[in-house]
Amino acid sequence: MSEAVASCPHRFRAPGAGLVEVAVLVGALAVLWFAPDFAGDYWLQLGFRTFIFIALAQGWNLMAGSAGLVSLGTSCFVGLGAYVTFGLLNRLSLPLPLALLICAIAGGALAALVSPALFRLRGLYFTVGTLALAELLRLLMVIVSAFGGASGIFLQEDPPALPVLFRYALVVALIASLAMTLCARTRISVILRAVRDDEDAAAQMGVRPYRVKLGAFVLASALAAMAGGIQAVKLGAIEPYGMFGLQWSIDVLSMVIIGGVGMRLGPVVGALFAVALGEMLADYPELHIAITGAILIVLIRFAPHGVVGLGAKLPLTRRMPA
Amino acid sequence: MLDVSTISSTIVSGVLLGGILALTALGLSIVLGVMRLVNLAHGDFLVVGAYAGLFFLQFTGIDPLLGVPAVAVFVGLLALPVYRLLLAPLANRGAEAQMMTMFAVSIILENAFVLAFSADTRSIARDYATVPLTLGPVTFPLIYLIGFVISVSLILAVHWLVSATAFGRDLRASAVDAEAAATLGVDVKRVQMLTFALGAACAGVGGTLIGAAFQFSPSSGAAYLLNSLAVVVLGGLGSVIGTLVGGIALGTLQSIGGLALGDGYRDLVGMAVFLLVLAFRPDGFLARGRT
Repeated sequence: MSEAVASCPHRFRAPGAGLVEVAVLVGALAVLWFAPDFAGDYWLQLGFRTFIFIALAQGWNLMAGSAGLVSLGTSCFVGLGAYVTFGLLNRLSLPLPLALLICAIAGGALAALVSPALFRLRGLYFTVGTLALAELLRLLMVIVSAFGGASGIFLQEDPPALPVLFRYALVVALIASLAMTLCARTRISVILRAVRDDEDAAAQMGVRPYRVKLGAFVLASALAAMAGGIQAVKLGAIEPYGMFGLQWSIDVLSMVIIGGVGMRLGPVVGALFAVALGEMLADYPELHIAITGAILIVLIRFAPHGVVGLGAKLPLTRRMPA
Repeated sequence: MLDVSTISSTIVSGVLLGGILALTALGLSIVLGVMRLVNLAHGDFLVVGAYAGLFFLQFTGIDPLLGVPAVAVFVGLLALPVYRLLLAPLANRGAEAQMMTMFAVSIILENAFVLAFSADTRSIARDYATVPLTLGPVTFPLIYLIGFVISVSLILAVHWLVSATAFGRDLRASAVDAEAAATLGVDVKRVQMLTFALGAACAGVGGTLIGAAFQFSPSSGAAYLLNSLAVVVLGGLGSVIGTLVGGIALGTLQSIGGLALGDGYRDLVGMAVFLLVLAFRPDGFLARGRT
């Protein structure tokens, strides 16, 4: 897939494009902030889920699309975030924003801690290593009774109301998107692309591939942990099979592939698609995942840039090459 | 509680189970070696084999262990269209495209199992499976020994196939350098397809054996995959005999871990071993003697 992404046309870069993007994101925040005043609970639920997915998918897209790291370990950081948040809220009664901040730090720290093992061999081993890590943590949570064992733990205080949670998720998604803007519109994007396309050549040019990959992995993991924390607070009760379940990793991977790996709008489009498909097939969870799998196979084969890539090929939206 | 008999029985059981683990890992290993593909659906091929053995028994009444060749052929044949239709067209698109396609196959299979056969945990119930075999101080279920013998025979057969036949020569050539092999007249696509089928057949037989010795469910695939990967990194990539040694090592470690810490820790040991080997000895502990 990395070859395919490498051939992606370079976008025209206006000097102020980054600022425009930030303005759009902040504008979206301002509008959506007031959504709870008019939208019903159903739409707030969907919005909440979309924001969580966007936060996860942005990080995954940064890793896979920009640094060539295909992770199956999203659930590991989502679960970590959930357990850390519950620990901080239950034991120390910290305020939620502070707990989420610590969560992000914990997610990043775990990523940094395991990176020597995961980055040891290139490419494929990162993927299976993250998968093993997620399973390892899940089994640990099931076995160790201090973490609640298989039955999990409850949140002792009352969770915030849905509109409040909606805004938290919105802010987390915004932070994720702003971070991606920062990565894409600054020098970092060039470094990331150099490492993804040819690690050895990049190293020759003075880029340190290890640091670049580590940065992407730490950032994505911090975002996933925050998303996991806020998701856990919404649930009010967590258990290892749900929070560390492979489903998180499947969801994120399929969102980004469906949206378009390495495409800036890919995660957002993918998240909206995933939420919509999930709603349509809400009564048939197994069928939902099987259909997602079939969509993945078709898109990987025929549309490596996902839905966004297909959209960009339409004559009306095609940009002139710079 | 921890007397000589318990400990020696645990170790012997671990070694025997390790043989089965090695067979399943071998399927993953040869595909990785020849196609540079981590087959993320490998664990689900195992589950296919387990269901195949179960239904073979139910519909024909023939003992699944006698039906092992039929299971191998069945799962191997199923793998052919997967290669032809899904993997071959992605041959020039880098490793991730094929790997993610197999991941998609994996989630489709797992959920298809649930839809078709329900999420129940099953096992291939045979009388002899639970018969304890006692040799001096050592006691273990007979099925472990049967599984070990079948697995090791198959592993040795694959070793012979890889090291002593014309197909094996093509396979080894493709694994070292596919482009060069193609230049020299090796039909790399065909070699890859047959290797993929062979890998799936190994998984299928391993699945039947595991289904007879333990239980399985539609979601067992991920744990099987990770155990196989742990064996592959322990034994070193691409080495048939290394895989056998790696399997026995992991089986023993898992059994000792299960005895010392509790049965829930068995899979945990596998994953911990996998990550530790990746961290400290990424070429495996038996990196020499590649085939």
